[in-house]
Amino acid sequence: MISTLQPPRSLSHFRSNPTLLLRYASLKPLSSLSSQPVTHSTITDQSQSPNPPSHSQILSTRHSLLSRHLTATQLAESFLTRLRLTEPHLRSFLHVSDSVLAQARELDEKIQRNEELGPLAGVLVAIKDNICTAEMPSTAGSRVLEGYTPPYDATAVRKIKELGGIVVGKTNLDEFGMGSTTEASAYQVTANPWDISRVPGGSSGGSAAAVSARQCMVSLGSDTGGSVRQPASFCGVVGLKPTYGRVSRFGLMAYASSLDVIGCFGTSVADAGILLHAISGHDRLDATSSKREVPDFSAQFVSMNLLESKPLKGLRIGLIRETLDDGVDTGVTSAVRTAALHLEELGCCVTEVSLPSFSLGLPAYYILASSESSSNLSRYDGVRYGNQVAADELNSQYMDSRAKGFGSEVKRRILTGTYALSAGYYDAYYKRAQQVRTVIQKSFKTALDEHDILISPAAPSAAYKIGEKKNDPLAMYAVNVNLAGLPALVLPCGFVEGGPAGLPVGLQMIGAAFDEGKLLKVAHILSRHCRIADLFLH
Amino acid sequence: MGSRALLLVKGVSSSSLPKNQLFYNFNCKSNFPRPNNWVRTNCSTTQSSGPSLEPPDLPRLAQTARISLTPHEVEEFAPKIGLVIDWFGQLQDVDLQSVEPSIRADTEGDSFRADIPETFENREAMIAAVPNYEEPYIKVPKVLNKE
Repeated sequence: MISTLQPPRSLSHFRSNPTLLLRYASLKPLSSLSSQPVTHSTITDQSQSPNPPSHSQILSTRHSLLSRHLTATQLAESFLTRLRLTEPHLRSFLHVSDSVLAQARELDEKIQRNEELGPLAGVLVAIKDNICTAEMPSTAGSRVLEGYTPPYDATAVRKIKELGGIVVGKTNLDEFGMGSTTEASAYQVTANPWDISRVPGGSSGGSAAAVSARQCMVSLGSDTGGSVRQPASFCGVVGLKPTYGRVSRFGLMAYASSLDVIGCFGTSVADAGILLHAISGHDRLDATSSKREVPDFSAQFVSMNLLESKPLKGLRIGLIRETLDDGVDTGVTSAVRTAALHLEELGCCVTEVSLPSFSLGLPAYYILASSESSSNLSRYDGVRYGNQVAADELNSQYMDSRAKGFGSEVKRRILTGTYALSAGYYDAYYKRAQQVRTVIQKSFKTALDEHDILISPAAPSAAYKIGEKKNDPLAMYAVNVNLAGLPALVLPCGFVEGGPAGLPVGLQMIGAAFDEGKLLKVAHILSRHCRIADLFLH
Repeated sequence: MGSRALLLVKGVSSSSLPKNQLFYNFNCKSNFPRPNNWVRTNCSTTQSSGPSLEPPDLPRLAQTARISLTPHEVEEFAPKIGLVIDWFGQLQDVDLQSVEPSIRADTEGDSFRADIPETFENREAMIAAVPNYEEPYIKVPKVLNKE
């Protein structure tokens, strides 16, 4: 799908040969880091089967491996080469695994022996660095965890590995997820592959940029208040925030526990759905993970008839009026309205819906997030977790370790949360915010009783320049969804002027709790709708 | 205290207030809700009738949060945190009287495991990460009683 959205200067003449593609990557100037995927198009184009796999890199990989068109080692080498070429400009990764090739070789041996392959065999996955990995550092972008390697894998990571996925490395983020540009990382600033003078969004900016630049196939991020969806929009990839409770958070470093979820990035709706399926399900190590059965999301991608003229007939879509008010770039508004027209062409009934409580969500979100972070981050005290500063008295050791380890934004949020949770203030702040959460949950419920899916922009603008908006307040589009715990998917739906090739704009689609399947189906059909592709190709 | 504090600030819309006055007025111990001219009340002449929401006292917050702040940080953070808290104030206007608070989205989880201790498999790796360990203790500097 994304390949149809990308600038057309692509690479049809390079497509048939991986080595040529790699040469292409090395020849291209910086400004075109946003260029086409290297191996992905190679694989899809090389597969001569009568039913060529969709744009899914995961399915293409499987197909290539099983049909012996490519080895896992070739695939891994190709991605690693591209990663090395692009990384000096993008800086998406805080750590790159040194065992990718060894794992790929092991997989090739399994293929040789005709052993059964997991559904993610050979899939190269990047992991946001606030998600624990047993054999790699996990810093959450903070100095306080510099050099820390957890003694276990997060459940989501464990599942990916068990299904055959290969973890490429750990991606950059705003420290502990607190930010929306990835500039608040203690280590480095990540650039947007579409224009390296711009931010990739955040806080999962590294994971979004890595997928966008094809440094990996898919990645995991986390979303507390838009941290998967906004960078997906800025980087022109698919971002999926699942329902709260769908995915175990065991091993995700807690920021705001009532809001945090682990989410997925991919270059196609199918990949995001397949990855979500892989990591979903109840986990006894996370008491908030749901026991609901996980449907086979991939069924949404194979069974539908794309030739049908109105494949989404009868579907009711609500366009959230409050999200198209002042303060939204006109390019963004028009891209979203155009997407709404396309949905109508596909048979949907699109109406505007008003959610007047929306504006309350932002202060409520901020109170909840800062309060919960002040509690959650108390564990980084130099004794339980985090680098220790020498001191001759325990309290000073705590205070100095935290002072040295945390960046300014983290300190400010902890202090703000400490204030909101001060004795006697609970009713005025935290409880009020929780009451607002109830109001917002109810208004979403009402809107989703009348509509199958709600749509809005994913962010009020396209990616902005690095350094331009360090203190950009969070957009209300994203945080209300976290307050209600609903699933949402961001799909690239257009471009605005800017950068060497235009800048992507994302459409946010919000579904009812645990209804990711419907989101994936609609997004998949919308993304394959050829007229959208026409629109995006200049 | 919380509910009384709430009363005191009820009717204040942060957007309708000059930013720098809101905190000042949070200091007023005895303002009764007067939606329109609350801000104008003179704090010094009114009588104290109960606690209110104090503005952030950065050094005290830093102590509570166990984060040492440099004087420069105190100076830099105070107005920023003040503005955020000021902005939180807009929720005081909203009528939420009969609304139940939600601690999180309903996950249909409630799947607490049995309250039986379990041993973590990779204990050695955890202990290896402790900077100062003397079997069976984690060593920390002395704990002074500051009272």
